Amino acid sequence: MTDLTAVLSAFHAATQCEAAVLTQSAADGRIIAEASTGTARSSIEQLPTVSDGIRPIDSAGGPSLIAAVPGPRPAWLILGPCTTASGDLASYMRFMLPVVAQYLQSALEVEHAANELAERYEEINLLYTISEILGRTVSLEEAARTILTEISETVGARRASILVHDPATDSLGVVAALGVGPSPTPSIGVQDQCSVSARVFRTQHPLLVEGDQMQCEAERSYRRGAMLSVPIMWTTPRGGEPLGVVNLSDRRSGQPFTAGDQKLIAAIATQIGTAIQNARLVRASLMQERLLHEMELAHDLQMKLLPAGSIVAPDAVVAARVMPAESVGGDFYNLFRLGDRRVGAMIGDVSGHGYQAALIMALTMSASAIHAQTTADPGETLHALFSTVRDELATTEMFISAFYGVVDRVRGELLYANTGHPHAFVVGPDGSCERLTAKDPPLGMASSQPKTTRRSWSPQQDLLVLFTDGLSDARSSGGQRLGEEALLEIIRKYRRESPAEILTRLIDLVEAHSGNTPRRDDQTIVLLHS
Amino acid sequence: MSFAITKEAEVVVVDVEGQLIVGNRQELKQKVLDELERGEKKFLIDFSQTGYIDSSGLGVLVSLSKKIREQGGELRLANLNDDLKTLFELTKLDTLFQIADTRERALESF
Repeated sequence: MTDLTAVLSAFHAATQCEAAVLTQSAADGRIIAEASTGTARSSIEQLPTVSDGIRPIDSAGGPSLIAAVPGPRPAWLILGPCTTASGDLASYMRFMLPVVAQYLQSALEVEHAANELAERYEEINLLYTISEILGRTVSLEEAARTILTEISETVGARRASILVHDPATDSLGVVAALGVGPSPTPSIGVQDQCSVSARVFRTQHPLLVEGDQMQCEAERSYRRGAMLSVPIMWTTPRGGEPLGVVNLSDRRSGQPFTAGDQKLIAAIATQIGTAIQNARLVRASLMQERLLHEMELAHDLQMKLLPAGSIVAPDAVVAARVMPAESVGGDFYNLFRLGDRRVGAMIGDVSGHGYQAALIMALTMSASAIHAQTTADPGETLHALFSTVRDELATTEMFISAFYGVVDRVRGELLYANTGHPHAFVVGPDGSCERLTAKDPPLGMASSQPKTTRRSWSPQQDLLVLFTDGLSDARSSGGQRLGEEALLEIIRKYRRESPAEILTRLIDLVEAHSGNTPRRDDQTIVLLHS
Repeated sequence: MSFAITKEAEVVVVDVEGQLIVGNRQELKQKVLDELERGEKKFLIDFSQTGYIDSSGLGVLVSLSKKIREQGGELRLANLNDDLKTLFELTKLDTLFQIADTRERALESF
């Protein structure tokens, strides 16, 4: 306390009297010399109180006086002995007491201010540290534990916990806890009436509870005595949304938590809220990525299920292609060798897109292979196929438009059944084009057995043409439909070419029409010569 | 694209403006099911302002038709343009629905 020493020195210079200030240490109660002009003396037998006034004390060098300095801090002023006899020591004392009192008061205030500043530094440091932790990691659980350690050190809490809301169960689960035993901490229902955490989550307001208030069994593990509970908020354009709760308890000093603690924790809780939200977004985006990857796999799988045209060689020459829309779609075709040089060709379109359509498509593909071998009648085959997927179609409200034809080049006939498939034709050697019209609605819309139709087939001359509406509905950049007629015109014109060549021409036509317009539906073509 | 719902006598009439496709079929479905839940029994979907129906749109019509029938109600369709008529014929859906040429005839037929 250099300022006080300067005051006492000035006093000594003016009066030739010694002066000293004694204070009592707040830590251990010992009396120490705070400032002094001569030899510090702290062994005064009986220290006076303020009401005792000024008292003389024994001194070897001459008369001395002592008096208690008024103020919040226990302190005493000793004046004397003096080297000259001039002056009234008692009036010096009356003059000096308020001066010293003022100095001590100021010193105390400075000390408080310094302490408070140190605390603020600590808090700012804590906020920085937490920002760093949150910036470094996307794992909420990992960050939560580190944050808790930092917070509990700053506010001196032995027990701390972070609870996060799980919307699925509407409960608060512990994601990190300090100072609790190894046994798992139970989740707390948001509507729980005794829990402090649940109440803070519901009201979205912090709560300072005393040691004996709101004791709750579920919170026993992370609470001892008083508890400070602060909601973790996430600010959205529509307002605040609570995400969880931070709890602190079991303070080392035994002192209650303060409004300052509450403010600090509220600031940190906002950061934790942002971190929780970030972690959730990261998780959602990872999930999305995985989903996209799975879609790609599903799509690859779908394409692999489709047979190559060569599997019906040499009984038939087939060119077939599925050009899928961006999402997993529901178009398919299948080809079968049925014995006696007969060949089966099926085309189908499962209504809808996405997983369900893909799943039904895969199921239909595998079931069709079995049913095609068990009966020679296309109507029966489609009916058996429908029985296999009936439940799936009913629950998903989907249906399948399908055409199935069996070409028997030995007998010169084509047997077919058509359940709601619009684009099935036989193009003759003379360029004639006969539509093989649907006699039944799509599978899943009616339950009666599809009818089988018989027509003649000119081996090596007739061309079976099957395509899905994704092709005739293909749009140009201006939104114009390609239309069925344009496709048939190409087929008629180039009917003498091989199926593979005609297929290439059709694809060229569609691509020229669509340009860069994304495909909004699968496009499937099957061309068969036998 | 929107669905206007009006009531004529005891019949709920839905006008489909634009297209009935994968992107808006659920909206149509929900609107009709809401009316069905309110106790309505007679439904007419008018396609006079509809250019295109894709396969999922057809799926919704079939599904609605089933649900309405289950509740003891009826669904009729009216004013299909030539393309839509062909689509219904080619897919044999004309056998599953009662289709009238005009709104008036559809309303009279209930």
